[in-house]
Amino acid sequence: MATGLNSSGVDARRHGSSLLLSHRARRVQRITGLLGSGFLLAVTSLSTFAVLFIFFFIARDALPFFQLQGFTQFFTSAHWYPSSATPEFGSLAIFVGSGLVTLGAALVAVPLGITAAVCLSDVLPFSTRQVVKPVIEILAAIPSVAYGFFALVVFAPLLQERGGQLLQVASWVIGAPMAILGVVVAGDLLTDRIPAGARSGARWILISVLGAVAFWGLWRLGVSLGGITISSGTNALNVSIILGIMALPTVVSVAEDAIQATGRELREGSYALGATRSETILRTILPAASSGIMAAVILGVMRAVGETMVVWMASGNAAQIPQPWYNMLQPVRTLTATIAGDMGEADQATGSSRFHVLFAMALCLLVFSFICNLVSEWGVRRTRRKVGR
Amino acid sequence: MRLETRKLLDRSFTASGVLAIVLMTSALVILLAPMFIRGSGAIFFTGTVEHRRLMMEKFERGNRPTIEAEIASARAAREPVYRMMAEFEKQLEAMPATERRKMTTQLKELKKALRSLLGPAPGEIRPMLMRDQFGQTRWDRAQVKLGRVMFREEWDYSHPERGSVKVMKPRADDFAGTALAPLFPYLSANLDKMLLPAKTVYWQFLTDESFDSHFFGGIWPELLGTFYLTVGAMLFAIPMGLIAAIYLTEYAPENTFVSFLRTCISTLAGVPSIVFGLFGLAFFINTLGVSQSKSVLVGSMTLALMILPTVIRASEEAILAVPRTFKEAALSLGAGRWHTVMTVILPAALPGILTGIVISMGRAAGETAPIIFTAAVSVGKPLALWQVFTHPTPALSWNIYNLATEHEAMDEIRHVQYGLVLVLVMLVLLLNLTAILLRARVAKRLRG
Repeated sequence: MATGLNSSGVDARRHGSSLLLSHRARRVQRITGLLGSGFLLAVTSLSTFAVLFIFFFIARDALPFFQLQGFTQFFTSAHWYPSSATPEFGSLAIFVGSGLVTLGAALVAVPLGITAAVCLSDVLPFSTRQVVKPVIEILAAIPSVAYGFFALVVFAPLLQERGGQLLQVASWVIGAPMAILGVVVAGDLLTDRIPAGARSGARWILISVLGAVAFWGLWRLGVSLGGITISSGTNALNVSIILGIMALPTVVSVAEDAIQATGRELREGSYALGATRSETILRTILPAASSGIMAAVILGVMRAVGETMVVWMASGNAAQIPQPWYNMLQPVRTLTATIAGDMGEADQATGSSRFHVLFAMALCLLVFSFICNLVSEWGVRRTRRKVGR
Repeated sequence: MRLETRKLLDRSFTASGVLAIVLMTSALVILLAPMFIRGSGAIFFTGTVEHRRLMMEKFERGNRPTIEAEIASARAAREPVYRMMAEFEKQLEAMPATERRKMTTQLKELKKALRSLLGPAPGEIRPMLMRDQFGQTRWDRAQVKLGRVMFREEWDYSHPERGSVKVMKPRADDFAGTALAPLFPYLSANLDKMLLPAKTVYWQFLTDESFDSHFFGGIWPELLGTFYLTVGAMLFAIPMGLIAAIYLTEYAPENTFVSFLRTCISTLAGVPSIVFGLFGLAFFINTLGVSQSKSVLVGSMTLALMILPTVIRASEEAILAVPRTFKEAALSLGAGRWHTVMTVILPAALPGILTGIVISMGRAAGETAPIIFTAAVSVGKPLALWQVFTHPTPALSWNIYNLATEHEAMDEIRHVQYGLVLVLVMLVLLLNLTAILLRARVAKRLRG
């Protein structure tokens, strides 16, 4: 016991003395510390400056194109004949193609994604959520070339052979549940003022009338969709649907994060005031998370714009503006697919406009995604600030 | 509003949410089902005697006497076909000139269709291309080819409003009354005796090289190429990503420069994958000259750049998830900052970091656009390890694209394409499963 005490005392004294470093040792320690963190900073900067390098090298190869051809033709003409004797590099049709496909993807991914995100964060019980989450993860993990293969080999022939029927079935699958919900709710809302005794009967009559009208409308829509024949399965519609599914996981996970970030207090406050769950979500949670949800939409759009393989394989690659512009059933060509597809032919002629125009397109993509990124970052930060975290 | 109405609205809101989830899940099922069902057909299928002959001649696989007996019995079953052909050729010489000319072209077509079904006729010179040396190796393809023998495609333009309509004309009608007339019923009745279909498990699909641009053989070069590219990308991305994450979480002061660094990282995450490919070409190949042209090394570096933000973010999150108390305890025991990071924080954050790494591995393995200009070729031998610095390689993702869109006979090798897709998807899903299991472990550890 005594020796134990003694030795610990000795230890304490020894440590006490070593804690007081000499001037020199302290300086050495500080310098090594500085050197170490300097090294870490250097490596970190190296990896982060990669993005500046990307901007620089893409711009460096894009500039010769603008010097040779100017801006006007590139952005305003739809004549894309890069390999003719007098080459024309009008890329308007390609920009329109990218835009159309992205719009279509957003129309698929945004409503579905935000509804699913709300459902995941606030509606589903924990156990179901554990099943649904892997679904989203798998959708996000499937490589883009596999999506492209599906679009080209499975979906395109299906669209071409029985496109009308497919559209008909799709309109029923989405329209019928919507119609039922809409009719029931409308019937209830419209009979609100009728005195309680006659209400139930009146509601049933109204619901059956509205229901008949809605299903007649759906049936007519289905028949007119069923009459459509699709001349080529590789078109903007095909790509939009597949891109929409690809963008879904991004939209769902970012939107869900934003909705979760609004916190318990807001929800509890709303419930305490007697609001139902849907009222809480629609009137309190979604407004509070709006900038985060906007960020989710932007990130989803970025995924769709930057996607290469699906559009390259299944968009038809025709550099033309669809007539009319919203005609999704015509083939289109996008920026990414043009870069991927034309580089093989342009590669031998390094230095020509043919080569540099692809870098000009890449620069446009890069600038677009940079702006989107800044806006979405701002959105995420704003949500956090708004809810005070 | 009445309470019932509000409750109803609430319920319909829930219902539309559930509808969205159901749509999403069914989209996943519709996507994966054909990949799994037809993809497994690359390994499990009904093979014909031609497949077994191929395996024996190329790889010495299988029991030689049995296969030779099978070949002999198949040849015996085919013998009447060639006999009828010979008889018909004799008849042909006796025909008047106009009819003979017509019949000769038709006979040529028939012979071609028959050769692609059964392989070269006995006594014929061995053809140059390997695809012509063997008949159909798969029973499903053989059925399709039998259709080509039995019917002739013709285009009907008589209804201008419907455009051209494909009509299948039976060849039996063309040869009615000649010595070849009995050929067609004989063929459709005895195809199984000529090809001897049997259930086959061709697991060597994964480890065989491909022959004659993927008409036969497996996908080993692609598998190996994807492996090299992924591992190479991780070799670059892990150290850089980890160091950046450590710096950003433990060392970085809160100033404008560091927030600029963070903006750079998130911008890098948003760069479209095809732009990485262009950058790899413009910077690594054209400017730095890392290799003369495409190589695995350049492809790995490009992929590494692409997954770097993912690795950094995941590692950052994992490090931040380590409880503060761990760090405080270490610091209070007198450990320095670096010492704390290495001995306390990193071990605690390791499973979380691994999760992020494994997920980005899946992304690197599946990505195509960055390797188009930097690493991928359509056909190639499996590379030896020292060749990765200078040689391009086939890769799963690129070859799916290539075989599905640029191959000369893409309809004939659908099974290979589906096989490639299935292998790639399985690879990525397995990596993700690993990540999910790792994360479950982390959750348990941080709770306990």
